[in-house]
Amino acid sequence: MPHLLTILILLPVIGAVASVLYSFTPSKREEHYKWIALVTTVATFIISLFLLTGLGDNSANFRFEENVLWIGSIGTRYHVAVDGISLWLVLLTTLLMPIAILSSWTAIKKRQLAYYVFLLILASAMMGVFVSLDLLLFYLFFEASLIPMFFLIGIWGGDRRIYAAIKFFIYTAVGSLLMLVGIIYLYFHYQTFDYVTLIQAISSQPLDPKAEFFLFAAFGLAFSIKVPLFPFHTWLPDAHTEAPTAGSVILAGVLLKMGTYGLLRFNLGMFPTMAHKFAPVIIVLAIIGIIYGALVAMVQPDVKRLVAYSSVSHMGFVVLGLFSFTELGMQGALYQMLNHGVSTGALFLFVGFIYERRHTRLISEFGGLSKPMPWFATLFVIASLSSVGLPFLNGFVGEFLIMVGMWTSGVTSHPYIATMLAATGVIWAAVYMLWMLQRVVFGPVTNSENAKLPDLNSREVGLLIPLLVLMLFMGVYPRVFLDRSRASIEAVRDRLSTSPAGGSFTVNAVETQPQTKQATKAE
Amino acid sequence: MNFFPGQSILPIINWALIAPEIIVCAAAVIVMLIDAFAPPTQRWITGGVSLGGLLFAAIATIWLWVSGGIGPADAFNQMIVLDELRLGFTLVFLLVSILTLLISTVWVQGENLPAGEFHSLLLFATVGMMLMASGGDLVIIFLGLEILSIATYVLAGFRRTDVRSNESSLKYFILGSFSSAFLLYGIALTYGATGVAGAPGTTNIAIIASRINEARYPGLLFAGAAMMLVGFGFKIATAPFHVWTPDVYEGAPTPVTAFMAAGPKAAGFAAFIRAFVFGFPFVVASANSSIGAGVHSAWLTVLMVLAVMTMTLGNVVAIAQNNVKRMLAYSSIAHAGYALVGMVAAGATGDPAQRNTAITAVMFYLLTYAVMNVGAFTVVQLIARSGDRRTSIEDYNGIGFKSPVLAFSLSLFMLSLLGMPLTAGFMGKILVFGAAVNQGYYVLVIIGVLNSAISAYYYLRLIVVMFFKERTTAWNAPKIPAGLAVALILTVVGVLYLGIFPGRIINALQTRIEPPLFTIRLPGAPSK
Repeated sequence: MPHLLTILILLPVIGAVASVLYSFTPSKREEHYKWIALVTTVATFIISLFLLTGLGDNSANFRFEENVLWIGSIGTRYHVAVDGISLWLVLLTTLLMPIAILSSWTAIKKRQLAYYVFLLILASAMMGVFVSLDLLLFYLFFEASLIPMFFLIGIWGGDRRIYAAIKFFIYTAVGSLLMLVGIIYLYFHYQTFDYVTLIQAISSQPLDPKAEFFLFAAFGLAFSIKVPLFPFHTWLPDAHTEAPTAGSVILAGVLLKMGTYGLLRFNLGMFPTMAHKFAPVIIVLAIIGIIYGALVAMVQPDVKRLVAYSSVSHMGFVVLGLFSFTELGMQGALYQMLNHGVSTGALFLFVGFIYERRHTRLISEFGGLSKPMPWFATLFVIASLSSVGLPFLNGFVGEFLIMVGMWTSGVTSHPYIATMLAATGVIWAAVYMLWMLQRVVFGPVTNSENAKLPDLNSREVGLLIPLLVLMLFMGVYPRVFLDRSRASIEAVRDRLSTSPAGGSFTVNAVETQPQTKQATKAE
Repeated sequence: MNFFPGQSILPIINWALIAPEIIVCAAAVIVMLIDAFAPPTQRWITGGVSLGGLLFAAIATIWLWVSGGIGPADAFNQMIVLDELRLGFTLVFLLVSILTLLISTVWVQGENLPAGEFHSLLLFATVGMMLMASGGDLVIIFLGLEILSIATYVLAGFRRTDVRSNESSLKYFILGSFSSAFLLYGIALTYGATGVAGAPGTTNIAIIASRINEARYPGLLFAGAAMMLVGFGFKIATAPFHVWTPDVYEGAPTPVTAFMAAGPKAAGFAAFIRAFVFGFPFVVASANSSIGAGVHSAWLTVLMVLAVMTMTLGNVVAIAQNNVKRMLAYSSIAHAGYALVGMVAAGATGDPAQRNTAITAVMFYLLTYAVMNVGAFTVVQLIARSGDRRTSIEDYNGIGFKSPVLAFSLSLFMLSLLGMPLTAGFMGKILVFGAAVNQGYYVLVIIGVLNSAISAYYYLRLIVVMFFKERTTAWNAPKIPAGLAVALILTVVGVLYLGIFPGRIINALQTRIEPPLFTIRLPGAPSK
């Protein structure tokens, strides 16, 4: 299918334009906008499935490549393609979009036109981030994704929405502007914005260490804020808590992945030498994030804030896996990105459902929801267990791979200490999730307002089903996903290992062993 | 040294070279005549005549650009030169004037102000700006500056019955004439310093550049350059010389503010670049001890400091403003700082290709700034209503979904001023900062982007009040007159076009000024 990626990027925008045009027709009706948005995003998802056909041989090559000159005078190209890394993130985006729109079906009553237009624009921008292979184009989509999210939080958010929206915007903008300086520097150093050309140029004529240090720092800061890595995480709980449900789902599901995707694609891909130098620091920050996020999540009185802090903890695992520089760790990190998108996305949906019914998210207001809402309780428990990392559900696979990868990593002197500390995060996750479940779902109905809450309707169950099926499928048969990304991850690892400072961290001996573990799990 | 003093030779008269200036001047005179003789009911014609004159001048400019004019590329003893620096900036000025005209005609009618006077003043101001860009001689630049300034002093105080407008005009006049004096004094000192054996001093920029190392009084040269820097710094509102800006911008009628923020600033930059980048040009490091190198490194250092101060002060103080016009005034100071970053890059290199790229970057930046700034002021004017009554931030509360066209346009302009991708402001910043990175000014660029992040706070604030807050008081959506609608469409389309497909425009603005800048073609002069 030619121009598949361009179609995927443009289709949501076309939907947005169609909605605006429709609003000028005399027979317009407010409830039609969501249908336009739904049809557009479902179509996008179906078309995006064609991407799977193009990666038959699982090689590291870029597929569905489109490369045309965009602005001649500064040499920017419209260069998009997918490989094994971005493929899954694109699919995650296209899958979550219809779900996000369905979750807003009754929750959003005011200004529906603007709401769905912003969601659709956001979908385009996110798609662009994952498929861009031109640095300026990437930056453009990266920044462009800020604006619709800013509006979504600011207009349809909770009480402190203005504070949260501005904080979200400025935190992210500061980081990405410094990355822009880095991009411009690279352009003048190598006369190109093109990623593929750049990584070749960098390996043939390396940057001097000082420049590479600052470049790694500039790109790393932008992505660390987006992830968010530990000291830069403070925007996240506010943004998550104040955003409307669909906003939280997309924020957790996709926007955070831009950070880890950027670290993997750009920081590790372009600056391998510095990646080795920075790795110990980043690993420490990731572990602090894992433990700190979990501990703070434990004491949150608000369910949504709890899930938000659990994101900090989970994204810490992803970063840990990436910077283990082992195949298992990095594959696990990529896998964990998808898991987090699915599980945390689902958790935010559940929070949205009870918020829509009770207009509160305080844990103390609930209790014994399993009696009035058995469907809700069952599915909520499954999603929570997936987030905790119960075997046979997706979270386990990702965290397990990351921890095995970290244990065998040569990037720090005592990787097992790092692994053991990170592993406590899994225990903490069980503590805060199960404790929250106990107080919200189980036990007697303490608050009479909860006694007659309606259970999930068919729309709500329907939009959860794909996520729950994925949780189970990804938990028992991760091969499908890992096989397609392996070659691309290996390509990044090649650059990491051939860099002057690399070498001591390859662990070929251990690589075969967990393969059998996956295989046994699949049975 | 057997230099013929240019002043004693009959100048080459080449009328074609100043065709755009003549056209605008003629239009201004015609407008005055119509105003004097036509009955009051027909004075609206003046607007049409002005618009026609400006468009005609734009066509003449493009003709000059495409054909290279008739005859040599300079005229009147190099008083007037023809290069892309002049033509590009001239088009920016004409664009600003056309947009100002579009947004002011209805306002002039509505406020019962004399339309003819307003239009002729606007046209004369435009001529002044054009001369500032086309002057190859400091005297012409000063002349243009004065024509421009006197017209804008009057324009700023055009709403005679309004105290704020009067204050604005008086402040601008006093401080403006003070700075003009600085500039003139600087020119005089430079003239004195550049005298060589057998020839008096010169105000010709190319000759200044060629004589700089033989200057008899280096001290005078330094003082002259410093005073000129102050004079230009005032016009473009750099940090220590910016104090007039907020008061004048706030008090002046909104269409005039739009004009002042976009046009004269660009004109100031055109003349500033001409006088400093080419008058006191880059000298290779081996000649470090020469006077030229000393002057060059001195002004470049000062300019760097000014750029940092201007960006930081403009952005930080803008956060505290509660009046939209004042906020945009500080934002315009900040943008002058960003453009200065590009000018520093242009001044820092002797390589003509890199210098041309940097100059193009500044020119493109000022073009984008003109488009988005006039656009923003168009919306501000519509919301302010007659008499500029509603210009405080609270007046924008919750209008987002009540007047969606205005609110979304204003948001687009704010995002563009902030420098978000897909808007003109982003491309402008990329070019300007790119030029500076290319010259190795990393710290300057990092300060620049951090300033952009600071500016997010106040640009977003307007979006926040428009969309995220609810309106408590009544709101009647303003009617959008045709002229303003056209201006709004032009600026919105312009912001998006320059942001998404800027390639053609950047290529068109690309300057190709090769050293020696404008070769001296005096008849009989020995070729050096």
